[in-house]
Amino acid sequence: MHEMSIALEVSRIAQDYVGRDEIHRVVLVGMDVGEEAGVEVGSLEFCLEAVLTQPPFHNVRVVIKTVPGDVLLLAYLEIDDGRPKN
Amino acid sequence: MAVRRIDVRERVMAKNDELAAEVRRRLERHNLWGLNLVSSPGSGKTLLIERTLENLGERLSIAVVTGDVQTQNDADRLAKRTSRLVQAVVTGGACHLDARQIMKALDEIDLSETDLLLIENVGNLVCPASWDLGETAKAVLFSVTEGEDKPVKYPKMFRESRYAILNKIDLLPHLDFDVDKAVSYAKETNPDLQFFFTSALTGEGMHEWYEFLEALGAEA
Repeated sequence: MHEMSIALEVSRIAQDYVGRDEIHRVVLVGMDVGEEAGVEVGSLEFCLEAVLTQPPFHNVRVVIKTVPGDVLLLAYLEIDDGRPKN
Repeated sequence: MAVRRIDVRERVMAKNDELAAEVRRRLERHNLWGLNLVSSPGSGKTLLIERTLENLGERLSIAVVTGDVQTQNDADRLAKRTSRLVQAVVTGGACHLDARQIMKALDEIDLSETDLLLIENVGNLVCPASWDLGETAKAVLFSVTEGEDKPVKYPKMFRESRYAILNKIDLLPHLDFDVDKAVSYAKETNPDLQFFFTSALTGEGMHEWYEFLEALGAEA
């Protein structure tokens, strides 16, 4: 289950960025996936939704952009840091 | 609540690729060739390696790392054909080997006493194409029972490979398989592919394969 390995790696990278505490909640994970990356987008989306359920992930929305080539990137995260809007 | 965006732009395979680079450095330090054998299940990888160990084992010190989703069956088969330790990696459900597993397997192998490293990947023509193991080259194996269009169905694997082995050619008289068409599909995907035509069962075409491996082993 190739996509599950990728989802677990995405989870690891994201946690390296924001830590595991509940202060920073990751609410969106944005990925770039190449058309030739050998990844089935629907399956990756499903795996990410299954894996990203524990803190710091919180009701995570997954956005996958299909791009040319064999790119496979965790492009960006959206984080709710608990601070009120300015 | 304020939601802010963090640009990450990190390659998901970065960690694997880092480890693969370390595997490659270790092989290069010993002038060692590492060949990653990839195929769909049932193409004959294990028999090909068994015959290779039987025929070259006395002249070349070949180390083998073999990956399977479950069981050590392939490693047990191969261990009967060599005095060297065969490193078995049971992936426990994963559909490919990764560089971390190869790194760990290499820790158990005396590379200074090795002429050639063969890696038998998990039988799968999709996922192993995406995972760099630090090998010197990939060799993709397919057999005449599988249909000529495997290369166009799984282009990434054929594009990533430097060598292609068309196996089970002893069955050609019984099948409607067009070898020229298969080669042409493969070359369409990767014009630089070097082909071998083998029957690991009868030995047909294996001489060229052995000669090729001997030349690689001589570089060590």
